[in-house]
Amino acid sequence: MSSQPPIPEPPILSVKSLSVALPVGADRPFAIHDISLDLRPAEILCIVGESGSGKSILSSTLMGALPRGLSIHSGGLTLGDIDLTAQSEGAWRTIRGRRVAMIPQEPMAALNPSAKVGRQIEEVFAIHGDLTPKARRAEALRLIQEMHLPDPERIAASYPHQLSGGQCQRICIAMALALKPDVLIADEPTTALDVTSQAQVLKLICELRDVHRQAVLFITHDLGVVADIADRIAVMEKGSLVEVGTADEILKRPTQPYTKALIAAVPSFEPKLRAPVPNTKPGHCLEVEGLAKTYGRTRALKPANLTVERATTLAVVGESGSGKSTLARLLVRLIEPSDGAALVNGHDLARLRGTALRQARRRIQMIFQDPFGSLNPRRSVGATVARAAELAGCTRQEAQARAKALLERVGLSATAYARRPAAFSGGQRQRVGIARALAMRPDVLIADESVSALDVSVQAQVLNLLRELQLELGLTIVFITHDLRVAAQISDRVAVMRSGEIVELADTASVILNPQHAYTRALIAAAPGRGAI
Amino acid sequence: MKHFRRPTVLIGGGIVGFWVLVALFAPYLAPFDPLKSLTPLAPPGTPAPGGGTFWLGADLLGRDILSRVIYGARPVVALSTLATLTAYAVGVSAGLLAGYYGRWIDTGLSFLANVILSFPVLVLYIVVIVALGPSPLNVVIAVTFASAPAVFRIVRTIAADLKQRDFIAAAVIQGESAWRILFIEILPNATGPLTVDFCLRLGYTTIVIGALGFLGLGLPPPAPDWGGMVNEGRALAFAFPHLVIFPCLAISSLVLGLSLLADGLNEARDAQSRGS
Amino acid sequence: MTNLTPVLSGLGKRLGVMALTMLTVSLLVFLVLEVNVDDVAVKVLGQFSTPDQRHAWLLQNGYFDPLPIRYARWLWGFVTGNWGLSTYYHADVRELILPRLAATGVLMGATLAVTVPVALGLGILAGMRQGSSVDRGVSVLAIITTSIPEFASAVFLSAIFVFGLGWLPGVSTLSGGVTIKELTLPVTVLTLSSAGYIARMTRASMVEAMASPYVRTARLKGASTARIVFAHALRNALGAPVTVIMLQIPWLLSGVIVVEVFFAYPGFGTLLYQASVNSDIYLIEACAMIGVVAVVVSQLISDLINTWLNPRLVRAIQKAALQDPTASVEATAG
Repeated sequence: MSSQPPIPEPPILSVKSLSVALPVGADRPFAIHDISLDLRPAEILCIVGESGSGKSILSSTLMGALPRGLSIHSGGLTLGDIDLTAQSEGAWRTIRGRRVAMIPQEPMAALNPSAKVGRQIEEVFAIHGDLTPKARRAEALRLIQEMHLPDPERIAASYPHQLSGGQCQRICIAMALALKPDVLIADEPTTALDVTSQAQVLKLICELRDVHRQAVLFITHDLGVVADIADRIAVMEKGSLVEVGTADEILKRPTQPYTKALIAAVPSFEPKLRAPVPNTKPGHCLEVEGLAKTYGRTRALKPANLTVERATTLAVVGESGSGKSTLARLLVRLIEPSDGAALVNGHDLARLRGTALRQARRRIQMIFQDPFGSLNPRRSVGATVARAAELAGCTRQEAQARAKALLERVGLSATAYARRPAAFSGGQRQRVGIARALAMRPDVLIADESVSALDVSVQAQVLNLLRELQLELGLTIVFITHDLRVAAQISDRVAVMRSGEIVELADTASVILNPQHAYTRALIAAAPGRGAI
Repeated sequence: MKHFRRPTVLIGGGIVGFWVLVALFAPYLAPFDPLKSLTPLAPPGTPAPGGGTFWLGADLLGRDILSRVIYGARPVVALSTLATLTAYAVGVSAGLLAGYYGRWIDTGLSFLANVILSFPVLVLYIVVIVALGPSPLNVVIAVTFASAPAVFRIVRTIAADLKQRDFIAAAVIQGESAWRILFIEILPNATGPLTVDFCLRLGYTTIVIGALGFLGLGLPPPAPDWGGMVNEGRALAFAFPHLVIFPCLAISSLVLGLSLLADGLNEARDAQSRGS
Repeated sequence: MTNLTPVLSGLGKRLGVMALTMLTVSLLVFLVLEVNVDDVAVKVLGQFSTPDQRHAWLLQNGYFDPLPIRYARWLWGFVTGNWGLSTYYHADVRELILPRLAATGVLMGATLAVTVPVALGLGILAGMRQGSSVDRGVSVLAIITTSIPEFASAVFLSAIFVFGLGWLPGVSTLSGGVTIKELTLPVTVLTLSSAGYIARMTRASMVEAMASPYVRTARLKGASTARIVFAHALRNALGAPVTVIMLQIPWLLSGVIVVEVFFAYPGFGTLLYQASVNSDIYLIEACAMIGVVAVVVSQLISDLINTWLNPRLVRAIQKAALQDPTASVEATAG
């Protein structure tokens, strides 16, 4: 999709050496510094950056909606013939929604929960135009239809919580498109969506460019998405522009080291050949037989069967609602199974109680998705890891020593022991989580979306760490993820789940390169950037 | 820590500290014996027979109002604090259990809490005190009974929220015992909102104890009791305002101090989590 | 709303829980006040009665029957409107209570009519302009007014308006019927004690609504502040204040007792006060039950209003009613 010839039109949006100052006392003087870029009609410009790159501040500046304490320090910003740095709040109110419009990151939260979505679309006309109520309603219905939403009348009469995430996002796009703005700013619009919803929304945005000649500023951290839809790419790091160019130039011939590192960190779709771990006793470490979970009338997990060889990695892939999280929680007995058994080296946790259960628990541990919620904020990280060791049978002294050793092994300094989680970054907290899990010397490690909340460069580091530990300790790993790329790189076998059942289970190369089930094929087709990155 | 040095915390803490000290050192601070009748209805500033001055005047039985106000701080401070502490002991334990275990325990305890909370507070006190008789202990019992459900609700909500966090799941997966999870993992993360609530609840309790005294259901006479003093002096307040104004100022200032403290602590906590 | 059946079944469950609550309350009241038969006899016949007199009276009135039977009899009495005889007033309890209840109703109604607009208005204003001097002013005012107990503010206001300026009467005995002059001070005292809390909760709710993602969306659509507040923020922000207002009713019922006694207002509060001073058991029981009914009904109304304001809560209520019948909207709304 990036093979369009560059259109030699004058830019509709022009940013020249723009700098936005942060309030006094922040960790750097500028939120964004000396940014220059142009956006032309019928073009998608992707702004790529990790957290802290300043890309969201840029989008806020373009809407005149900077948070309190931030202000434009210097530079130029023009939309057509309007100087956006010199507009009053009253003037901005006529510009927002009409000349520049935003597509938000969390579509359901971005809609008023107690108003019907049709009315919310009509509101754009009510604010800016002078259509009659009847005409507004007709326009809203027409827009909903243009978003390829079936049954527009029913959708317009729905409340946001009655629609899915993808549908809400299309409503937000309809609202943004309503007055045919000059510039559409999409701030991470697909990050909160499933991969299939994401594919549909991306297709819609490309249609906006192709059919409506919309200029789109697309902000994202996902290079796969960028590879699929960008005409031009701007790379940002820590508030500065690292490099800007056509999609081809940036993706195939990057010049800056940061860009090169960023692209290299994205897991490739080519399944990696993995050497077996030396000195492993052959056999199954984890055996799941008919494991199932039902909540009332919903079958969250239908009877599942799988085995995992010792010291190998199984990736469990699926979208939300597929049952993969339920499976993970059943394996560690965080929830009770309705049926079936899960055996870790022959021991079924679900059948044990009391001391036997506590001892058996040591064999299988978990690392979690959210780096902010997975550690007790009131305890030092050392104490957290040491407590895990104590529960595994160590004395206080032994536990502290083991904790110190583990924290160093996962790449944190010796001073980390006494510090609280708030002092660490997301990636560092995930490392603490790994140390905590390893403190019990488990046979099996369950990683529940453990890298999904991390920047792509940090993600690569954590995945490498897990591989090193697997080789060193002979760990069996079950890696839950929605990201097929991660699965391709780190696993020996892949299980694909949908609606509570495993639809495909085979070695990684077969699943990725030669999928048997229609759903797997659909998942792979929907994954952005395949082939380009 | 620097966030806690705000004016609201300092002023509120200062007022509360002042009254606590007055209550503790009452015998050394009061110029007269609060029970001794001297010159009835003496206006403020009148010299007393046998030396000294009625700085705030004397009540209708001739007792020095300043001394009675000073001594009156004792039951208020002691009973409020004791009652709130016991309410907390009950409410926190029950709330942690209900929030963490959920299901039947939660249903049962919440139902019980709602039943008690269906009583207008003063009606509940009246019922308990009529049944048990007025005495300091019964006041504490009544207040505990009425406050514990509110504390229970707050703790239950916090516990139910925290239960969803991954670090609790990690503790369960590691085989941590339930009581350690409740008191070492969950409770320390609730101290912020609970401290604020504690101050507020002390304030409410003080108001209610004052009201009980005003209605004549608190401590039996002749014990000095701010609410009781207002009740006694009410009929003559037109001619002798000093009988009622000073105890009202006393109780209002104490509750104000507690409210400011609670407000300040709340803001400080917000600033702390935002700033650092 | 398309499908009313789940809502109605949720409502039915809620009413069932209410009935169960009332039953438990009645049991508690009965146990606390009537379990010790000697105490009852002393309270009814007076301190100077002899043991023989008490024994005879207890026997005659069925107090030696087993406890469950006594409770059932007592409960039946309540349900059928037979609330016993007041020992102090020597009159039928029900006939005593009803006119007093009406008077208190007038007082509470007048108080709410003043408090709600004032508190909501101040709270919304403060929340809209977070951090401004209006905001700080409202907060300070709220803290000060809620810190002064009712009897203390009654004293202060009387000092100014009754003794100082002489504008208003010192007592409100309603001897000439209900008048605005006699209602003014009691209503003002009650408003001062409850408006502050409502205003602060409203402010907090508004601040949260104004900071929410959907308000940001509206701003980015080009909406003016007025539109943002009235079309977006308010509808979602009012849920919490409505709950708070309804939850203030039990607090007001307590304050009403103090205020009525202070101003000699012939209402439910003074009746309960007299009953407690005189250990008038049957009157106290009836007053307690009525107090609870008032609170429980106000909670139900609060739930209904919240449901109307927030359609998402309809689903939450249904879900909650299915899993946990004691969950009320306040709990689910957080």
